[in-house]
Amino acid sequence: MKVLVAVKRVVDYNVKIRVNADQTAVETANVKMSMNPFDEIAVEEGIRLKEAGKADELVVVSVGPVQAQETIRTALAMGADRGILVETDVQVEPLAVAKCLKALVEKEAPDLVIVGKQAIDDDSNQTGQMLSALLGWSQGTFASNLDLGDGTLKVTREVDGGLETVALKMPAIVTTDLRLNEPRYASLPNIMKAKKKPIDVTNPGDLGVDVTPRLTVVKVEEPTKRQAGVIVADVAQLVDKLRNEAKVI
Amino acid sequence: MSNSTSGLEAIRDVLGTNGYIDTMPELDAYQNEWRGLWKGQCDLVAKPNSVEQVSKVLAICYEHGIPVVPQGGNTGLVGGGVPKSGIVLSTERLNKVREIDPVNFTISCDSGCVLADIQTQAENVDRLFPLSLGAEGSCRIGGNLSTNAGGVQVLRYGNARDLVLGLEAVLPDGRIWDGMRGLRKDNTGYDLKHLFIGAEGTLGIITGAVLKLFPKPRQKETCIVAFRSVENCIALFTRMNAQAGDALTAYEAMNQLSVEMPVKHGQGIRDPFEKPYPWYALMELTSPRDGTDLREALESVLGQAFEDDIVIDGVIAESGAQRDDFWRIREMIPECQAPEGASIKNDVSIPISRVSEFINRAHEAVEKVVPGIRFVSFGHIGDGNFHYNLSQPLGADRAAFLAKWHDITDPINEIVHALNGSFSAEHGIGQLKRNELLRYRSGVEIDLMKSVKAALDPNGIMNPGKIFNS
Repeated sequence: MKVLVAVKRVVDYNVKIRVNADQTAVETANVKMSMNPFDEIAVEEGIRLKEAGKADELVVVSVGPVQAQETIRTALAMGADRGILVETDVQVEPLAVAKCLKALVEKEAPDLVIVGKQAIDDDSNQTGQMLSALLGWSQGTFASNLDLGDGTLKVTREVDGGLETVALKMPAIVTTDLRLNEPRYASLPNIMKAKKKPIDVTNPGDLGVDVTPRLTVVKVEEPTKRQAGVIVADVAQLVDKLRNEAKVI
Repeated sequence: MSNSTSGLEAIRDVLGTNGYIDTMPELDAYQNEWRGLWKGQCDLVAKPNSVEQVSKVLAICYEHGIPVVPQGGNTGLVGGGVPKSGIVLSTERLNKVREIDPVNFTISCDSGCVLADIQTQAENVDRLFPLSLGAEGSCRIGGNLSTNAGGVQVLRYGNARDLVLGLEAVLPDGRIWDGMRGLRKDNTGYDLKHLFIGAEGTLGIITGAVLKLFPKPRQKETCIVAFRSVENCIALFTRMNAQAGDALTAYEAMNQLSVEMPVKHGQGIRDPFEKPYPWYALMELTSPRDGTDLREALESVLGQAFEDDIVIDGVIAESGAQRDDFWRIREMIPECQAPEGASIKNDVSIPISRVSEFINRAHEAVEKVVPGIRFVSFGHIGDGNFHYNLSQPLGADRAAFLAKWHDITDPINEIVHALNGSFSAEHGIGQLKRNELLRYRSGVEIDLMKSVKAALDPNGIMNPGKIFNS
């Protein structure tokens, strides 16, 4: 069985996000970039399927700038077998990514595609679902557990009311939630080995995909600053403030 | 009304009702050491909110002969902030950043600012304040300076002392010395600020400081590598230092047990490796430049060391979150020793070239005193500072183990001395190491120190019983 995992290069989770000067986007120049944490979980799940003998090959795909090779290299160092970069400098939207992935799925013919449920930069939470619709494949989103049987896949999903388990027909798309697994660290020997693993570079045009953005960003701004709280002296003052300042009672 | 009672009354008047504490149980947090090694006693905790209030309180204490124990975050490790009597003067309400000057690369602040807050303020203007240590979320800069704190980046940026350009201090008689000059060059007589830095509050109270800032690192590469022996751990350091130079900002050695304890007791900490190794090093390279050259340099040196069999395994952080994971292991070691029973801490420094000799000799000596003793050896090996901590044997009696404190530390200090090291690298003297100071420092050195003490604090009210016995 072949597994395909998609990874995105995003601003590192620990970086304090700043809006750029002309308020058109988040500042990414000179900012540390890392693999989207949900995608790390997707890579880890793929590796575990391999280690469990349920998958033979794990292919990692990224759609993005040339530097996204570093992100792919990280996945290879964790244990993926080879990488494909769909190189573009366009700020790709979920539909464009889904179309690129569809083209690669048709080429690579994996049995299972695992993607992060969302990327922590734009928080779209769309790519996996769109890919499922484009391919007509079954989908198990927000997975906290995978149970791969013979031709079926049981996915435990984290939903508002608790956990829901769905049985999917293969081939399938899975999107990962935080509790699916804890991604491993890239070890030094594996980082060295990963340098020799192949990364194919293609581009949206070669895949027949138009990635021109369909959305226009009007303005990007920081959330309004939260006002500092005050400590009230007694209940009477609290009630007074709620009634006359906050006007909620 | 006794002399001291009327003095305390005058202090209360100066500070107002929110400015002091004189009842239990609130007093306890200031009277006792956080690990429970020292229990102290004081009549009052003064919490002045201005330099003028500090001045008035000290003038009163001077007049009434009331002992004053300055206290920041009370995170010290040698009992320097624990009072025997008199008052504790807490800097916790002196917590304002006065000015931040990104052009001059300086930050001026009150001495009660929490270290982590200063780091954040610097970061907000794209600068770095490099002092960094385990207690940074609660320790205060005045305490860091009074103890000349070290931490994890001394290798690159120096001790607390090296990060100070100007200082403001209140003298025991209440006079304020304003030396808040943010100058890199200022040869104007005795450099008084260095008297107060590392004086452990025995000469006066630091109330403000002008601190150096540095360019903020843009590249940061963090890894944990594993070794068969401490010799190999030092061999990699030597290579790294020679090849990465200034970029090498931290090199922390950890033996097997000092990684096992945080993995076992620390919340959310996991073992970075599948199997244990005898020694590890947490290493960090930073650079203010953009690009990926550090990662390449790191992989190149590590790759070569791996081929040469110096390094046998390693993990490199691929994200900020993983970097935090790695540092958490190192930072949680002291805390995670607590659930393993009593521990004895030795904060020593040795010339790097003799660290392995020290460890071999000390292991042998200590094993003889307490068979089964557990070595939790870690530290800033890049600057020769080693935390040679010892946990009680599994299942042993806590009190019986602690009763052997000096039987254990004496031979260690002898070995340190023989190797030209120091019995207190970064923790200071406090109450814990007063005898060692007398034993290992010359008569001339002690005389000089006592002259300085007598000149600045003639009544002996400042933190009595610390550094010296009286």
